[in-house]
Amino acid sequence: MVKSNRADKGKERDVACTHCGEPVRVATRAMSIFCPHCKQRLILEDYRIRAYQASRLFATCGDIVVEESGFVSAPIRVANLTVRGRIQGDIDARGVVSVSATGRIRGDVRASRLKVAAGATLDGFFRIAPDAVSLTS
Amino acid sequence: MQERKTQKEGTMGSNSSDDFTTVIGPDAVFKGELRFEKGVRHLGAFEGQIETKGHLLIAEGARLVGEVSAGNIDVEGNVKGNLKSSGKVRLTSSAKLEGDLHTSRLEVADGAVFIGRCVVGSNGTAKPVENKPADANANKGPVEVVKK
Ligand SMILES: [Zn+2]
Repeated sequence: MVKSNRADKGKERDVACTHCGEPVRVATRAMSIFCPHCKQRLILEDYRIRAYQASRLFATCGDIVVEESGFVSAPIRVANLTVRGRIQGDIDARGVVSVSATGRIRGDVRASRLKVAAGATLDGFFRIAPDAVSLTS
Repeated sequence: MQERKTQKEGTMGSNSSDDFTTVIGPDAVFKGELRFEKGVRHLGAFEGQIETKGHLLIAEGARLVGEVSAGNIDVEGNVKGNLKSSGKVRLTSSAKLEGDLHTSRLEVADGAVFIGRCVVGSNGTAKPVENKPADANANKGPVEVVKK
């Protein structure tokens, strides 16, 4: 689930800058870079959250899994997001947001796709559309 | 991928034939207020309010503008308005929903478009998220970077 499809796809991959939304080609093994467009630092790693995590912004070009014991209180920008725990904050996902039966989201969600298991709790303004979701604006 | 699709079509097909005692035909253009006890299959264009305890299917190509309150709701077509379901709302890949959604359960197929307020949970009333985690794992180290 957590494994991204990029892992074995050669030495480079394309991501979208989590700050300006511009496409950036990065080395597969890189953990962070500076965006050539907006010069801001881009995190490229995947994260697994098992406890309370609060921040001003939680942004990565990788994937995030919030485990059942996890609670994120922050706006999130991410490629794919799996929610088994709780999130309080707005979510901007390039790909899929998957909410399992134990997952709870309170915040606005933008994503290309949404998967919701029975038992999940959602509350917010949602914008689900298959065309690429802009990370800016 | 293909397997999943067939499965979904199977489920859809099985509850679509007998459930619907009322059909709003594809050439029907209707404005007003409709109340039913059982299932409704909507194939046309409707503006107004629909209320049923049963299953409402808004078929592909159908349009609905207004308010809906139903048991289960399947959206294959175009909806502009608010949906309230005591059961499950299913948006198929051809669905376009612009409006608010209150339901206990939600299923969204790849390709579906949904823009609006979304409240999903027990009886469509999401419980507020508390501000602090109520578990003992809080000092375990919050973030783990997944090794690839
Ligand atoms: Zn940038």
